[in-house]
Amino acid sequence: MEEFTGLWNLCVFTPGINLLALTILIGRKLAGVRGIAASLVGLLLPSAMITCLLAAGFKLVQNNPIVQAALRGVIPATAGIMLLVGVRFAQPQFSLARKEGLLSLGTSAVIVLACFAAFAVFQLSVIPVLLCAALAGMLVFTSWRARTGTVPPELLKAAEEEEDKRD
Amino acid sequence: MINPLLYFLLFLKASLFSTGGFSNLPSLHQDLTSNGWATDTEFGQSIAIGQISPGPNGLWVISLGYLTYGYLGALLALIAITLPAFIVLLISAGYHRIEHRRWVKGFMRGISLAVVGILLTVVASIIRQPGVDWKGWLIGVVAFALAWTQRVNILVILALAGVVGYLLYR
Repeated sequence: MEEFTGLWNLCVFTPGINLLALTILIGRKLAGVRGIAASLVGLLLPSAMITCLLAAGFKLVQNNPIVQAALRGVIPATAGIMLLVGVRFAQPQFSLARKEGLLSLGTSAVIVLACFAAFAVFQLSVIPVLLCAALAGMLVFTSWRARTGTVPPELLKAAEEEEDKRD
Repeated sequence: MINPLLYFLLFLKASLFSTGGFSNLPSLHQDLTSNGWATDTEFGQSIAIGQISPGPNGLWVISLGYLTYGYLGALLALIAITLPAFIVLLISAGYHRIEHRRWVKGFMRGISLAVVGILLTVVASIIRQPGVDWKGWLIGVVAFALAWTQRVNILVILALAGVVGYLLYR
């Protein structure tokens, strides 16, 4: 299990679909280059073909009024499900930040909202925004003075008092 | 006219600078719609098909490829989302060198928070699709609540939404 966690950490750093990266690592571990090829094909071939066939089938019937009507229900439902994906993704981040205090919590919320605004309102391109968020996270969440990874309480208190003064 | 090389490169770029299966959406959306190669509706449809189909979530890009550029588009999309995963081999060779640097954790947290922002953008762009009215919003809220309980399978939720959509909009 520990080894699995180690592999997964590498996949989090990998761009794109993390599961594909994990498949590559496991395939390599089991049988080298051939293992990579076999495990990728095993994962992708059936699911990619089904996805493609579903899309093809959809294209055949998409002008059918029944399909059109049903789709008007399905599309907003995917938005609801996607929102849940976002919430689940945010949960560990925010519970970690809550443990560190208001400063971390506030910064986390600001990063999320700023990114949302950058894409949805200002239509900025993704790469610079991701980089800015990563740099902001690096500056704020790294405790440059302390040895551990969390913000020391006295620093946090000072920051909060600073905030209070400004109010 | 779609230029296949540029089309492929746009998909590749979106996947290279994304993390997780959906965060390539804003980049793809910007590039494909500005070239007139895909419509908002096609994005909504691809995501719906991606939710229904098996395999990792990120495969929605394959249906986007098919809907916008046929089987060639689907194939190009598949290659474009597979290639970036190989970067993991480079990372596994070099990660142990930076793993314990203090800044790495904060850097990754920043990216994860940005992904939350991206997912919210995706939600916003789906819900602003043509044809989504207040009843659509209601369906979205109910779908969210049902998925939240973790008692109802995603496919069942989507099927129910399809039935409700048929009854409301036929």
